[in-house]
Amino acid sequence: MKRGFYFRLAIDGMRKNRKLYLPYLLTCAGVVMMFYIISSLAHSPIMNTMRGGGNVAMILNLGTIVMALFALLFLFYTNSFLIRRRNKEFGLYNILGMNKSNISRILVWEVLLSACFALVAGIAAGLLFEKLAELFLLRATGETAGYTLTIETSSIIAAFIFFGAIFALLLVASLARVRLSKPLDLLKSEAAGEKPPKANWVLAVIGAILLGAAYYLAVTIKEPLSAISLFFLAVLMVIVASYLLFIAGSVAMCRLLQKKKGYYYKPRHFVSVSSMAFRMKRNGAGLASICILATMVLVMISSTSCLYFGGEDSVRSACPYDLIFNVEYASPHACAAADGEAAAAAIEKAASGCAEGLVSYMEYSLTGVFEDSAISADKMARRVDITSSPMEIEKLRTIIAVPLSDYNRLAGKNIVLEPGEALVWSSGEAYPYGTIGVKNTPMLRVQGILTELPFKLSMYDTILTTYLVFVPDWEAYTGQLSAYLTSLGEDAISSAPARCCGFDLPGADAEEQLEIAARTYEAITDANGFCDEPQAFLYCGYSAYADSRSDFFSLNGSLFFLGIVLSIVFIAAAALIIYYKQLSEGYEDKSRFSIMQKVGMTKREIKSAVNSQVLTVFFAPLLLAGVHLVFAFPFVRNMIRIFGVFNTRLLIATNVACFLAFALFYVFVYRGTARAYYGIVSGGEERQ
Amino acid sequence: MSILEVHDLKKVYTSRFGTQKVEALRRVNFSVERGEYVAVMGESGSGKTTLLNLLAALDKPTSGKVILDGVDTATLPEKNVAAFRRDQLGFVFQDFNLLDTFTLEDNIYLPLVLAGKNYAEMSARLKPLAEELGIAQLLKKYPYEVSGGQKQRAAAARALITEPKLLLADEPTGALDSRATDELLSLFAEVNRRGQTIVMVTHSVKAASHATRVLFIRDGEVYHQLYRGSDTNEQLYQKISDTLTVLATGGDAR
Repeated sequence: MKRGFYFRLAIDGMRKNRKLYLPYLLTCAGVVMMFYIISSLAHSPIMNTMRGGGNVAMILNLGTIVMALFALLFLFYTNSFLIRRRNKEFGLYNILGMNKSNISRILVWEVLLSACFALVAGIAAGLLFEKLAELFLLRATGETAGYTLTIETSSIIAAFIFFGAIFALLLVASLARVRLSKPLDLLKSEAAGEKPPKANWVLAVIGAILLGAAYYLAVTIKEPLSAISLFFLAVLMVIVASYLLFIAGSVAMCRLLQKKKGYYYKPRHFVSVSSMAFRMKRNGAGLASICILATMVLVMISSTSCLYFGGEDSVRSACPYDLIFNVEYASPHACAAADGEAAAAAIEKAASGCAEGLVSYMEYSLTGVFEDSAISADKMARRVDITSSPMEIEKLRTIIAVPLSDYNRLAGKNIVLEPGEALVWSSGEAYPYGTIGVKNTPMLRVQGILTELPFKLSMYDTILTTYLVFVPDWEAYTGQLSAYLTSLGEDAISSAPARCCGFDLPGADAEEQLEIAARTYEAITDANGFCDEPQAFLYCGYSAYADSRSDFFSLNGSLFFLGIVLSIVFIAAAALIIYYKQLSEGYEDKSRFSIMQKVGMTKREIKSAVNSQVLTVFFAPLLLAGVHLVFAFPFVRNMIRIFGVFNTRLLIATNVACFLAFALFYVFVYRGTARAYYGIVSGGEERQ
Repeated sequence: MSILEVHDLKKVYTSRFGTQKVEALRRVNFSVERGEYVAVMGESGSGKTTLLNLLAALDKPTSGKVILDGVDTATLPEKNVAAFRRDQLGFVFQDFNLLDTFTLEDNIYLPLVLAGKNYAEMSARLKPLAEELGIAQLLKKYPYEVSGGQKQRAAAARALITEPKLLLADEPTGALDSRATDELLSLFAEVNRRGQTIVMVTHSVKAASHATRVLFIRDGEVYHQLYRGSDTNEQLYQKISDTLTVLATGGDAR
């Protein structure tokens, strides 16, 4: 009976304050939902199968942390506001004879109820949203979606633990506040003055410096593979800097503006700047979180949509010909001896006359640490892989030796070189040295730099900076290299001489292309690669454009989908959060604006003050997110290059489009919010 | 010449569904001469605050007129009312109504900023005023950092800095201790001596005893009035007390 009494009091209290409690509960549920969705996506099994899933998971894990931090700060802020409004009621109960432990019991019930609602509704909403998104994806892509969302129990448990802890902390904070205060203080606490925020210049300056450094890092990164760890350092710096700037920098900024008398003492700025200084102290963290999450979403959605829409490009650059065959041989000698003409004829036959633009050349490719114009081919070089330090990775280069005769034939030229001389083409910056070669073997003199190739390379060949070296005596030169590598035994870097054949099949559809590929493959293997010594033929591999294309779209389709899911989740939650912030502040500002009305402020002036304030609170995070996006651009461009999309214009377009779409949506939320806020602050004066 | 004229002022509050009507002011007539210091007295619920709100054009009368310096405030369009209030009237409230996000200085500047004055002019006006009110040292402080009396002096500065035609005060001493009350009242007497017209609503006999004329309101009407004549504050105090006693013990004597 007694327990029921406190429970009823709690329910009653919440119902009576539903104008405050409803948005609060919805916000809590929204935060839980966001947390669950982001965390479950990060742990979802598709992250292992999806191309780039590792990076996405890393971003999402970072997002989970930001989300958690944000939830903590934001719930504390909203709750303190709520408690401040409720204290009057508690003070009254206290004066009417309820002691503090009775009040505490009401509080316990309230927090328990809010927590249950937030967790259950939030996770249910998260599950529902994910399921709906999944259904939508299946409908949109047919059965080949290759993507199903699973219920992540670990994320549910994490949400329960994390938010349970937050609510427990909130309870402790509220209880402490009730215990420590006297009844009269409780009655009056809503009206208690607040200390003016001090501008913390040190933090503000540190924030600015960090941001500058992070931007510098992000812009100067060149090699995308080596840069990932560096980039994440930059991301962390940006996150910290955003928090510092919003929390300390904004107050410092307001103080600075207040010092500029000519600016500050204008009706438009006067009220908004001074209340902003107060506002930012409490809202800085929330705004920074919104800014960071917005940046993440914008980066993800713009890059994934670029990947999706730039798919053709990407597949083309991964597979520059409709079919590419790579026939590997045991030695350069075998490769040179194999009948290239016969290979071409076999292809013509298998393609039943629809092959076009056939290119065929021999290559000998080596990848290793490149220093002072030479690659090391020994053990040291072997140890270098993607996981080692960025400094070493940045030194990795690929050298591909190709016969000059193949070049002359394909380019229709007649260049003559002496043995020991070479033409060099570079996939990156122009080749800077006078010689090139492999350490401990004779170096080649660079006789000329080529800027164009007579054939197309797959982008997979040029992820690392690649030097193509055209040599007149290919068999002899690569024979030397091969002998040197053999002498190194197991320590040697791997390499294989191969003949590459690429051609287009303009008349054939995807299915026919794959049939032709299979027929060609059989013809080559059946003839042992047209090689005199059958045992010297190692392997025949091919890549078909049609295959890559379908792979690409099923894989990047899910990335694109993820981007969309996340942005919808975020946008909805951000809108809710900002709406709530403004509403709750509206109640605080009401008395302020009523004073201003008495002092002679017109409704219009109030409106314009409200607008400029809401505008700043709203658009500052968006603006900074836009700047972040601009500085992330070079890195994002490099990243999507790894996925094979080289269309910078498309990336710019998707960036701009995503930003504008985001901003447009934001404007709608803003107008709704400003209207609600204005309704509160200009609403009927309270009569004494 | 009278600066403020109130003719047959009537204010009826209607409850939300229009079922109940409360007559806050029934028939109020009085006028205030330039340079006068008028105290309006009455018990709680007598309509004092309603009267003040009507004088300040914060509310519209049900009927009757408030004419301030020849202008009927009820006929002013809404967008002009605020400017009118800002330029012609100064307010001092019981609970100060200072904005806690502003320093005292900025609080005082508020009406001038709204009027679009530049900083140099505002600062030139504030200086002598702040000296006179004894808050020159406190200008950079925030309201929560200073005492009630200091807050009220800052509020008075805010009201006076626009050089208003009429200073309206609503229970200005209500939240002050006796020392701060004395200071504020002598301040009001001082600015009045220099020509400032003041209308003060109060139920403090002490506050009213500083005025040059005291109006008594009962049940929404001006019931009685006292002129200071050549009385000292103490003598006026006594007269006010006597009048209040008569009012309270009934007596329809008029």
